[in-house]
Amino acid sequence: MSDKKPSSQTPVLEIEHLTMQFGGVIAVNDFSMHIDQGEIVALIGPNGAGKTTAFNCVTGVYEPTNGQVLFHGKAIARNHPTGKMKKLYAGLHADKYLADPVRLTPDRITQMGIARTFQNIRLFSGMTVFDNVMLAMHLRRKSNVFSQTLRLNAAEEKQMREKAEKLLKTVDLWEVRDEMATSLPYGRQRLLEISRALATEPTLLLLDEPAAGMNPQETEELSRFIKRIKGQFGLTVFVIEHHMQLVMGISDRIYCIDFGKLIAEGTPVQIQNNPAVIEAYLGGGEDE
Amino acid sequence: MTNPKIKKKDRALTVSWIVVAAVYAAVFAAEQVISPNSMLFTVLKKGATYALVAVSMNLLNGFTGIFSLGQAGFMLLGAYTYAIFTIPLEHRSSVYQYFNGGVVQFTLPWFLAMILAGLVAAFFAWLIGLPVLRLKSDYLAIATLGFAEIIRAILQWNQLGPVTNGSNMLRLFPNFNSFNILKADGSVAVYLSTTVPFLIAGVCIGLIVLLLHSGYGRAFKSIRDDEVAAEAMGVNLAHHKQLAFCISSFFAGVGGAMLAMYQTTVQAKSFTTAMTYEILLMVVIGGVGSVTGSVISSFLFVACSEWWLRFLDNEQFIGDFQVPLLRNGFRLVVFSIIIMVVVLFFRRGIMGTRELPDVIRALPGAVRSLPEKMRARRERRSASRKEAGR
Ligand SMILES: Nc1ncnc2c1ncn2[C@@H]1O[C@H](COP(=O)(O)OP(=O)(O)O)[C@@H](O)[C@H]1O
Ligand SMILES: [Mg+2]
Repeated sequence: MSDKKPSSQTPVLEIEHLTMQFGGVIAVNDFSMHIDQGEIVALIGPNGAGKTTAFNCVTGVYEPTNGQVLFHGKAIARNHPTGKMKKLYAGLHADKYLADPVRLTPDRITQMGIARTFQNIRLFSGMTVFDNVMLAMHLRRKSNVFSQTLRLNAAEEKQMREKAEKLLKTVDLWEVRDEMATSLPYGRQRLLEISRALATEPTLLLLDEPAAGMNPQETEELSRFIKRIKGQFGLTVFVIEHHMQLVMGISDRIYCIDFGKLIAEGTPVQIQNNPAVIEAYLGGGEDE
Repeated sequence: MTNPKIKKKDRALTVSWIVVAAVYAAVFAAEQVISPNSMLFTVLKKGATYALVAVSMNLLNGFTGIFSLGQAGFMLLGAYTYAIFTIPLEHRSSVYQYFNGGVVQFTLPWFLAMILAGLVAAFFAWLIGLPVLRLKSDYLAIATLGFAEIIRAILQWNQLGPVTNGSNMLRLFPNFNSFNILKADGSVAVYLSTTVPFLIAGVCIGLIVLLLHSGYGRAFKSIRDDEVAAEAMGVNLAHHKQLAFCISSFFAGVGGAMLAMYQTTVQAKSFTTAMTYEILLMVVIGGVGSVTGSVISSFLFVACSEWWLRFLDNEQFIGDFQVPLLRNGFRLVVFSIIIMVVVLFFRRGIMGTRELPDVIRALPGAVRSLPEKMRARRERRSASRKEAGR
């Protein structure tokens, strides 16, 4: 199984028959999707549907049990049930991805151009706002530990500081750059986490419930913000979200999963009127 | 440059530099004036040595979040490397008396030997780092502790005697007193036996501080704060942990060489686990994540254990009354109680995560430079004059 040749039609991200099984629990079940260049695609579904798990498989936090993930046509994850999972595996296509498994660590995947935020904000609590952003630029450095310690990389350092300044100014966090990251109010921490992801210079941005805990007005601002940075940084965006308001407002296409399985896909209007989606959200006793 | 915050920061840094320079000047002056046998210099020399080792441990435990307990092992490697390569040729037959003068038949200048000491320690860190750093915190601590014990046993192994002198002492290598500049008649012209160790420790700690404030330092801290997020932001965990481990061990090795110089002799059996615990205590008492804290607490720790609490070990009389409890060993009891109190009630240590410039910045008025103060006074005076004239 060779990687596909990238072309103008090659999707930015392709997930094929992705299955993630924890012990006996199948969190993501034979899930396939794709995202094209410049799209904003949303993944929705009730709590515990497996959305975050799917993200973790794309970003290398988890090694999928079966299936593959392609980024610009290049495999960033490919696996088939091995070891104990050989017997335990309860999903499909167990023999489809036997050839050369691909297991990249999250930092490699970030290096390739996928950046993410987390459902529960994970800022570096012992560092300032500025340093949180500077850290995210670390992976693009050319200098080594000696030249950095002895300050022989002054030009690079200056360039990075300017970049960080510019970024923090565009997201309106420049004024609070010297504050500790976790001392910011909740909404701004979310903003900082997105900015930090942007500082890694991604082409694909993954947002895990960016509007969680926000009021309608903040959600509205966030929608505009996501659209703005998408244009400004030439991004493709993949967003997990609960807030229908946000999802319907910004998405080009939506995938809906329940119990790890894809139950619907389509435009916001199609999804809104899809009986399976309504069933999943209402039947599941969804509270939001 | 119009940003007041940046200006203020720079001023605090300048003041910090002045404080550090004053300390060095004071040490140098004291050394010329006070008798070299004073307890003060014992404390200063040993304190400088331990300050370096404590900071190197803090780099790993406090800044990278890797709970390693191998420090004594790396110090031991450094101490032995230094000693083995610096014993003058004419003394080798007496030092290695059971091993025909040993196999190493050349000597290195103290400076090179000290760097080599660091490199050997770093090399061993690199070797064991590959498997060990994959372990989670408690297991990592146990594994590194075990490594230190194994190194201690191996260096005492008789088969290695031609190199390590087996379980016998290594001695007669250049020590801190060798830094004194002598007159022709052999008396001391300029005392440097405390100033030079201060300089060595100062340069090493300075390098660690520079590292901590570089991009790599930021990466280390991000690993400490949140491994998952750090990795998601492109920090290669294995690479950075390995790097922190090797650098920390390098400086522990240099610290070991300094300890050898301080002690004037080395023997593997004295580099015990208790030594690592002592260093860990210095880090904790100073503040996990504060270089300044580690330095201050190292000196306090050494001063207490070697000097200030010594009187507790001797029977004392006030008139005819014998003070109860004071007898040999009581010092250790008091010492342990102090440590327990600190660890129980001052868990963030002396400094928390603050550094010297932060403290200076927090001092009221201290950051205001002299010219500014004078201008303020002038303005006040002219204002009051106007008031009086009206
Ligand atoms: N590391 C893990 N070990 C075991 N089960 C997990 C793990 N991660 C997620 N799960 C399970 O997978 C399911 C999907 O979780 P998640 O992807 O977080 O849902 P969502 O993000 O859609 O709310 C849940 O039932 C959860 O308990
Ligand atoms: Mg989730």
